[in-house]
Amino acid sequence: MAFNPELARLLEHPAIWRGTSVARTEVLSSGFSTLDERLPGGGWPRSGLIEILASRFGVGALTLLLPVLAALTSAPMARTSVWVAPPFEPFAPALAAHRVDLEHVLVVRVPAALRSGALWAFEQSLGSGACDLVMAWAKQPRSKEIRRLQLAAERGRALGVLFRPLQARRESSHAALRIAIEPSAYGVRINLLKSKGGVRGTVEVDLGEAARNLTPAGS
Amino acid sequence: MASRPLRKSDARVVRFPTSLRSVDSRRDPAESPELWLGAHVVSLNAAATLEKLATRAQKYTPRVSLVPPDGSLLEVKGSLHLFNGVDGLLLAFREDCRALGIDCAVALAPTPLAAMVAARIGEPFVVTNKAQLVGRLTSMPLAPLRWPEDVVDRLARMGVRTIGQTLRLPRAGFARRFGPAHLAELDRLTGRNADLRRHFQPRERFRRRRELTYEMENNTTILAALAPVLSDLGKFLETRQVGITELECRLRHRHAAPSVCVLRLAAPLANVPRLTELLAERLNALVLPEPVRSLELRSGLPVLRELSCNPLWQPGEYGGSAAGSESSQLVERLRARLGHEAVYGLQTLQGHRPERAWSMCEPPVATSASGTTSRREPGGPGPQVASARGPLSLRPAAPWAAFRRPLWLLPTPQQLEELDGVPRRRGTLRFFGDVERIETGWWDGGEIGRDYYTVFDIHGVQLWIFRERANPHRWFLHGVFG
Repeated sequence: MAFNPELARLLEHPAIWRGTSVARTEVLSSGFSTLDERLPGGGWPRSGLIEILASRFGVGALTLLLPVLAALTSAPMARTSVWVAPPFEPFAPALAAHRVDLEHVLVVRVPAALRSGALWAFEQSLGSGACDLVMAWAKQPRSKEIRRLQLAAERGRALGVLFRPLQARRESSHAALRIAIEPSAYGVRINLLKSKGGVRGTVEVDLGEAARNLTPAGS
Repeated sequence: MASRPLRKSDARVVRFPTSLRSVDSRRDPAESPELWLGAHVVSLNAAATLEKLATRAQKYTPRVSLVPPDGSLLEVKGSLHLFNGVDGLLLAFREDCRALGIDCAVALAPTPLAAMVAARIGEPFVVTNKAQLVGRLTSMPLAPLRWPEDVVDRLARMGVRTIGQTLRLPRAGFARRFGPAHLAELDRLTGRNADLRRHFQPRERFRRRRELTYEMENNTTILAALAPVLSDLGKFLETRQVGITELECRLRHRHAAPSVCVLRLAAPLANVPRLTELLAERLNALVLPEPVRSLELRSGLPVLRELSCNPLWQPGEYGGSAAGSESSQLVERLRARLGHEAVYGLQTLQGHRPERAWSMCEPPVATSASGTTSRREPGGPGPQVASARGPLSLRPAAPWAAFRRPLWLLPTPQQLEELDGVPRRRGTLRFFGDVERIETGWWDGGEIGRDYYTVFDIHGVQLWIFRERANPHRWFLHGVFG
């Protein structure tokens, strides 16, 4: 395609945002090549809020994030990775086997009596600037609250991940990226419901890929 | 130059030497190695204020000793230059006394006893040179030495009424008549013998109570009533250059047991606004059974404070400010609202039993100050060095490389229903992969014998289940692969 060089240079300006290109934003490789191809910019955003809607707990939502969790915690000058109100106990040996550096992992439990405590803890962690990654299992956040979470994530330069049930796909959301995940024959089928500056669609991801790339631990 | 406004401003509170310059012999070779500041408290309730004064005096020197019931001594030779010499030091000391509301007379002398005696007399007295000391002491009366009544009486009957006359008495005869103790005291007075003083140790923990003039129910007013106590705490911490990691606030009621809220901090803190903010968070969570009648703050043991330094980069920028003050602040804020146990870190333990292969630990940021330095030491490009990480984080993974572990562990195994000896969970389970036997722990009472299987349920969720080796061979769900 013949481009006017003047125009091309003008379009390089970071303040100009054009439909499908968000190459200017910093991204983190998801660790799955098929997913990276489809995500805007080639990976998870470095800061911002993403929503993962799973049909059922345990279908592979956390495995999907393991490579980025391992990369972020073991990076030099790593900040904390926070788990807000996880449904069960994160099993430390499994995390360590996946090369997650537990020194940077923080778990936050929210007493059942405290209403909206999880969202408060989520927002505090995102906005504190002390976290690289914050994952939260919150019950029915409202659209306005998600907007606040997105702003907090940008302020603290953190990646926020909100796990929600699949029923929430009908609700509108301010998250930069929304994906739905369900099990399939190969691993999981990921449906990109909303992707700012990317394309929507479905992608099959083999969850074993990241584990195979991992060299045997302890050798 | 400095002496004139001092004398004018508050002569009643501190009787102050008029001619400081004349005796300030800084370059004199005969200058004494020690210089003592004696402070004689003339307030009504001297004993109560003495400790306050001695605590405040830590600012000038660590060598502060109390002379009960109404005196205090400071060895200030080493800190003179920090306060612009004798005049500056006396000016600053007088300011502090006035701030504390203490009336006291001060004197400077090369020996502690001489400083104390001179301060009791209340005349301006500044002697920095040991050679001049005896000459200045001679005209002083005996009363400020506080010897027993009969000793002073007998000396008076002998016509001895001043310190100078006492010093001129024959030593052997004096010791025989009045006891060697008094002779030794005279020797200490003139610096002939060393005078060893016990140093005052500031109170180790902060504890202050405030009675309220009326009963309070509202959290905001309670916090406002706590403000002066908190500011006292701030001064307490500043004086010692320490921070606290634990603060207890007790609210007493008329009938009910006191309400207690305890603040635990990840890193030593001495910042009053931050403490107030955290305490407010705790108070909001507190349900008061009755109105509050009195308040009390108690601190935990003071800890040496790490002074904060601001990073060059913004948080997250170029990976900047890792494990800095933000992370400990975050932990504190979360704990203040959610409770101390709600925030924890993870660590792996050696062992094969899943329940005992991990444990909670203190959040990693609590040791950030020392942790960051040790982590950086091995040098930037080689973060894979095993010793750079915690020794526990990678090693235990090795024996299990062959077997996959679930990412989620149920707090307690959940029993599965069975149909003809085959486990079910919302439908049939599809078995997958090998069986792993874990049979261990006979030595500590936590013995287990289990065969672990990996299964898929009908929704495609991968589960980790086990069957008991012993009768009745029940099936349990123990983990979920996330």
